[in-house]
Amino acid sequence: MKGAANLWANRLRTDFRVALAVVGLLACVPIFVSSPYWLGVLIVSMYFAMLSLGWNLLAGFTGQFSLAPAAFAMLGAYTTALLEYHLKASLAIGIPAAVLGTALTGYLLGRVVLRLTGPYLALTTLSFAEIARVVVGNSYNFTRGDQGLNVSALMHSRVGYYYVFVAVLLVTLAALYALMRGRAGRFWLAIRDDATGAESRGINVVRYKTFAFALSCAICGLAGSLYGTFSQLVSPELGLLLQTGLVICMVVIGGMGTLSGPIVGALLVYLLSEWLREVGNIQLIVFSIAVILVARFFRTGLWGLAQSVAARSRAPAVK
Amino acid sequence: MTLALDLFVNGLIFGLFYALMAVGLAMIFGVLKVVNFAHGEFYMVGAYTYVLCALKLGVPAWLALPLAAIAGAFLGWLVERTLMRPLYAGYASWAVMKDEYAVVVTFGLSLLLVNAVDKIVGPYPYRGPALIETSRFALGPVMLNGQKLIAAIVSAALLVAFAIFLKRSLWGRQIQAVAQNRLGASLAGIDATRATSLVFAVSGLLAALSGALLAPLINPSPDVGAFPAIKSYVIVVLGGMGSVWGAMIASLLLGVLESFFAVYVSYDYRDAFGLLILILVLIFRPQGILGERSRDV
Repeated sequence: MKGAANLWANRLRTDFRVALAVVGLLACVPIFVSSPYWLGVLIVSMYFAMLSLGWNLLAGFTGQFSLAPAAFAMLGAYTTALLEYHLKASLAIGIPAAVLGTALTGYLLGRVVLRLTGPYLALTTLSFAEIARVVVGNSYNFTRGDQGLNVSALMHSRVGYYYVFVAVLLVTLAALYALMRGRAGRFWLAIRDDATGAESRGINVVRYKTFAFALSCAICGLAGSLYGTFSQLVSPELGLLLQTGLVICMVVIGGMGTLSGPIVGALLVYLLSEWLREVGNIQLIVFSIAVILVARFFRTGLWGLAQSVAARSRAPAVK
Repeated sequence: MTLALDLFVNGLIFGLFYALMAVGLAMIFGVLKVVNFAHGEFYMVGAYTYVLCALKLGVPAWLALPLAAIAGAFLGWLVERTLMRPLYAGYASWAVMKDEYAVVVTFGLSLLLVNAVDKIVGPYPYRGPALIETSRFALGPVMLNGQKLIAAIVSAALLVAFAIFLKRSLWGRQIQAVAQNRLGASLAGIDATRATSLVFAVSGLLAALSGALLAPLINPSPDVGAFPAIKSYVIVVLGGMGSVWGAMIASLLLGVLESFFAVYVSYDYRDAFGLLILILVLIFRPQGILGERSRDV
């Protein structure tokens, strides 16, 4: 048993180091790239990396396959925007309020869907996401509906924004690593693999499942809130099911249930999609095919592929 | 009173269209215990096949309808053959992540089909030719659109034919057996794999016909399937996941409820209403309105 636990800890550490290296590379980019366009593209891909990390915590680590990450990003963005629009609240209040608001909503949704698994959970979270989008899009008096809301920016320097996103991504990643290494991570994985078994060993399944839900939604809410201040316009389109589809593509291609997979997947998918958009708007066709192929034939995504390549190159030395 | 009657009849007609989609989804859930998130795209492919055959190839409308059905059936069969086999055919270790696999793959397929059609055919909506050119007319106190009435009659006939197929024919009974117990059915000599293929082909056929019948009324665009697909999720949950009879009743119920809700409560939030029902049913009565006993496909 000890051996298996060590194996997992080692794997997680390697995984975390790879993710750190990727974020480190991202931090160096502004030294070489000064084009505001490409910095903007990278900022959006870091937004997706946050959503992917948040969704992966639920789907990959805890086994709760939610279809609502984009809806929570939209809710986070709207919390900040509405506080500013109605109450003239500054971003110093607006952004933390978005995190708290989405964490609370996520906690409540987590409580509600506690007993649901698999297709039932997917359908319920899908309905929640669509209801949230329809309500936000149709409450003209309160949210200005499809016209969207303007939000003030955190700062005007694009490089500054870039580093805000790098820092937030880094903090999220480190927090997730700390949690995954400790008690919570072990419990989440136990719940994912066998909820009944975990319960019978004394794990408080209710508490850890709702905790994962709240945390995942808070990460998505934070990402959405920051993205809203960056684009300075918040609209219901943030919560489209298509956005959730993109997040799923990113995590599945990168590797579900890992820390580096969602980040690498998000960067890869978003940067490639910028390029494919120029080639002829075929990005979604390419990614949907990629996701089907990955799910069908390489279940572990890029991370698993890298692992098997590493294992193969190491194999002769072990013999 | 006239308004209420009008709403009731129109609601029932929409319920019939919903039912064509929902019975297939329910049957797929019955045999594989997964939700097909690409079901709306079967509908979209049907609508497009009908419209493009009729407009670009000059096929008469009454012939374009069966062509759409064939396209839908083929697509359903192909999806089952290429993507659904791992869910049951001997991939033991896959069982752990079965639900996730099904969601990812069908969701990906839905993205793929929508965007492929968007790219190949174009994002603009087409107006399908009507089966028979008629104007609106009054049937007693209720105003009806001719195409809508014909589509409703054809849908009702299809649903009755489907019910007879499922209840009486050998293949239909095999499907029921597989839905009840896959292993038991194979032990009794039923080809469970063929039955599953059949389920997808029939589901694709019905959904495509639903799209083709509605094409003159809805002006299909690539994302046209999203709306009826979400309705069928609601119906399948409301009727009890996997129950075909429950799905039929729930379709009519939802059609009527929505039609009244849109007028008497709120037009803007009409699409959120069904989803709210879905969440409430899953939380308080996960076995659906007819209950556990009805779940025999």
